[in-house]
Amino acid sequence: MKTPTVRTRDTAYLSTGQRPQRPEHSLRNSDVEDAELARAAARGDSDAFGRLIDRHGMAARRAARAILRDDDDADDAVQEGMLAAWRAIDRYDVARPFRPWLMRIVVNAALDARRRGRVRHAEPIAETLESPGLGPDRMAEASLLRTRIDAGLAELPERQRIALVLFDAEGWGHAEIAATLGVPEGTVRSYVFHARRAMRRALGTLAEGMK
Amino acid sequence: MMQSPFEHERDEELGRVLREQLTGAAPEAFLHRMRSAVAAAPRATEWDVLADWARPRVMALAIAAGLLLWLGAWFEGTQAPVDPSLMVASLPTHAVVSAQPPAVDEIMAALRERP
Repeated sequence: MKTPTVRTRDTAYLSTGQRPQRPEHSLRNSDVEDAELARAAARGDSDAFGRLIDRHGMAARRAARAILRDDDDADDAVQEGMLAAWRAIDRYDVARPFRPWLMRIVVNAALDARRRGRVRHAEPIAETLESPGLGPDRMAEASLLRTRIDAGLAELPERQRIALVLFDAEGWGHAEIAATLGVPEGTVRSYVFHARRAMRRALGTLAEGMK
Repeated sequence: MMQSPFEHERDEELGRVLREQLTGAAPEAFLHRMRSAVAAAPRATEWDVLADWARPRVMALAIAAGLLLWLGAWFEGTQAPVDPSLMVASLPTHAVVSAQPPAVDEIMAALRERP
């Protein structure tokens, strides 16, 4: 098995003004932990895989919901993807980051579900923006924002949707998203740019009001 | 929200709104469901993988072999029985391999041997 290289924070470029070259497939500490858990999972340790689910399950759920726009379909797709990843864990290359590998499987499961047309009727996504402390005006505004986000996401091509969610909501880098989608990094930048523009159009001034 | 879409920094506000919208209800219950599904699913052994790979191929081979056997039997059944009167007794070997035409005596002898 290959030994993963750990990228440490290098701040020397701040004084020199030159950004250091990132080694190819460099791993962060969390990636190394993922790799350790994946190794244990490959030996049959389902608890280790459970910890990987804890670390990446919610990001997978959000990506699946962005694709399928239905709670139950998305959860089914994530479960399908997680099971596929569990069965194929010994084929994961620990020298590469784990989460794009897992996310790619989950995204493919969601896209397959969508293509097979076995998705339930898409309804507005659950009311997670509502807070008990909000007054009627704010509640109405939140509801409108929810509707617009849903409509905005619906307008986006699937890949743009995934790129936007992984970049802005999950904080992933372009390289990881590129690895997930199997496209060049420049394409991911373009996806994020176009998706943001479309979402901004869909949201209008509402999002400002949520601040 | 971030004003310039060309700036490839994260749009924190849009990210927060998306996270809230897409997280869904009962995240702990969801994660528990995923963990339980994995714990209940046995990992495939190498033999299982090999069996999964081999099963359709063995089936395809069996079907092909059956088809060939059936075709062979059918072909044999369609062959007309040979009329003994059409059979010609064999000439002596040297008459067959020789560049010269066989002698009349040899032809007559072969005809006489005809059943």
